Amino acid sequence: MSKIYKDPLFWIFLGCICYPFLPYVGNFTSLGTELLLWFIFTLSFNLCLGQTGLPSFGHGAFYGMGTYAAAIVFLRLSASGSFVLPILGGIAVGAVAAAFLGWLIREKRGVYFAMMTVAFTQVCFGICFRWDEVTGGEAGLSGISRLDFLGIPMRDPVTFYYFCFAVFVVCAIVIRAISRSCFGLSLQSVRQNYIRSQYLGYNVGVYKFAVYTLSGAFAGLSGALYCLLTQSAFADILDWTKSGDVVMATLLGGGTVSFYGPIVGSLIFIICKNLLSSLWDHWLFIYGLSFVVILSLFPTGIMGMFRKKAKKKD
Amino acid sequence: MLELSLFCNGIVLGLVYAAVALGFSLVLGVSGVINFSHGITFTFGAYFFWAMYQTLGWIPAMILSPMFVALIGFFVERLIIRRVYGQDPLFGLLITLGFAMAMEELIRMIFGPATHNVNAPDFANGVIIVGDFLYSQYRVFIAVVAAVMVAAVWVFTEKSKYGSVVKGGMFNSEMVGALGHDLYRMRLYIMVLGSFIAGLSGILAAPIWSVKSGMGNSILMPSFLIVLMGGLGSIPGTLIGGLLVGICLSMGTLVAPRFVDMIPYILMGGIVYFWPRGLMGQQNIIE
Repeated sequence: MSKIYKDPLFWIFLGCICYPFLPYVGNFTSLGTELLLWFIFTLSFNLCLGQTGLPSFGHGAFYGMGTYAAAIVFLRLSASGSFVLPILGGIAVGAVAAAFLGWLIREKRGVYFAMMTVAFTQVCFGICFRWDEVTGGEAGLSGISRLDFLGIPMRDPVTFYYFCFAVFVVCAIVIRAISRSCFGLSLQSVRQNYIRSQYLGYNVGVYKFAVYTLSGAFAGLSGALYCLLTQSAFADILDWTKSGDVVMATLLGGGTVSFYGPIVGSLIFIICKNLLSSLWDHWLFIYGLSFVVILSLFPTGIMGMFRKKAKKKD
Repeated sequence: MLELSLFCNGIVLGLVYAAVALGFSLVLGVSGVINFSHGITFTFGAYFFWAMYQTLGWIPAMILSPMFVALIGFFVERLIIRRVYGQDPLFGLLITLGFAMAMEELIRMIFGPATHNVNAPDFANGVIIVGDFLYSQYRVFIAVVAAVMVAAVWVFTEKSKYGSVVKGGMFNSEMVGALGHDLYRMRLYIMVLGSFIAGLSGILAAPIWSVKSGMGNSILMPSFLIVLMGGLGSIPGTLIGGLLVGICLSMGTLVAPRFVDMIPYILMGGIVYFWPRGLMGQQNIIE
């Protein structure tokens, strides 16, 4: 514990604590909260992409379903008046959806796996966008408010920021523990050599299913918190282009070589999306082009740039 | 009568999808790159056409605009896609997706965010009357042009000598290269051809869908789904997949108008779940 300052997570946490006190950006508390949620989301996504090599293009579905689940739980069960219940609902729905999909496609690989997840996302998008009776259709769901949690009023954005920060700390430590455990190492073997890990006796399909479910649960959690942040739910977060944003941010940051890659990537993406867009409407032009340039020069992303010896792609 | 005209609409739509998917499938087969900038060439075709057709007239613009798009395809291959040969297909997908995002924004920058309308040409602006059945001449025109494109590519790969090299390249491009054919040049030609087809399809779709910057996205996913559904490297499979998606989308409006957008995805999911290589696919480069 004496060398805690050598741990990158420590510095990330410290940065997050200080965020509301920063001179200029600190006033945008909801931006900071969104950033934290994206950290959780991309870290959970990287369990699939970076750890197991699962190209899931449908993670937006679990995020979005977490959002909708939280909104529906809040609006339908509002009598309970609980702050935690919508969040638990989001986690449960995210995990169940991911388990369902993960079990169906546990034997698929590569492009086919990716496209099955895209298809699932689009079906979820269609349901949320068109099923007016339950999901509000195009108008979305609104009227959600943040209730008190253990006597602490969450209505205040800064308090909610610190609540999300606490969740992020727990998630980051848990996800890192998972990726360094025996289970996580077996997942790495699946990524590095699919066939050989099968010959070694691992039931690869079950491993894929398990990591997908876990990852979906974390994505559902971040989605549920997003619902509480914006106090509404709209279908456009479920579109496949949003899932593409997650994949791009993770890859840009260097999720394939580093645990911290997703954090770097989502930092860049959210800052571009919120700050660059206020300076210039056509920020996507710069973002897209720089993505192409960086990735074609450094296929492992920004974290890969800082590695002295670039690891060869397997 | 409504059913019949929806069915015809479905066939027309399916032929356009099949033509776009064919270019996609050729590029994927020969170079092993999932080219997500294919949708943007479709959009570019429509925009170039919209910019030219009032001054030049319909037919000259229709010939010129795909040529510009093919030129774009040439540069995209030279600058971007060439870098990702031999890598994971999904890596190529992301690179081209980033490029497509940038280009979509460029289109919005140059042409503005508004939606533009294109009128059908004078020679196909009427209706065809068969008994008491009315059908738009322009849709028949689209169907004919799209069918000619698909047929031309089919004949090219089946009958010509270079076509058989391309066909071989779709199954094992490395081996074709090892046999002494210039693989890089072939990949370039195919990319140019694919962009040309996508650009021409964009023009055909322009009067029906109207010209907007997001129109590429709305055809990119269906065409990729069609490629997976029909089986990579199979032109008949792509045609069947395209018609299936087109007809189901069109007839689906009768059954479940609200959930019609999901149909291609459900179809693809079902088909790939039971036939992992698609309806007519064989072993291919992305496995």
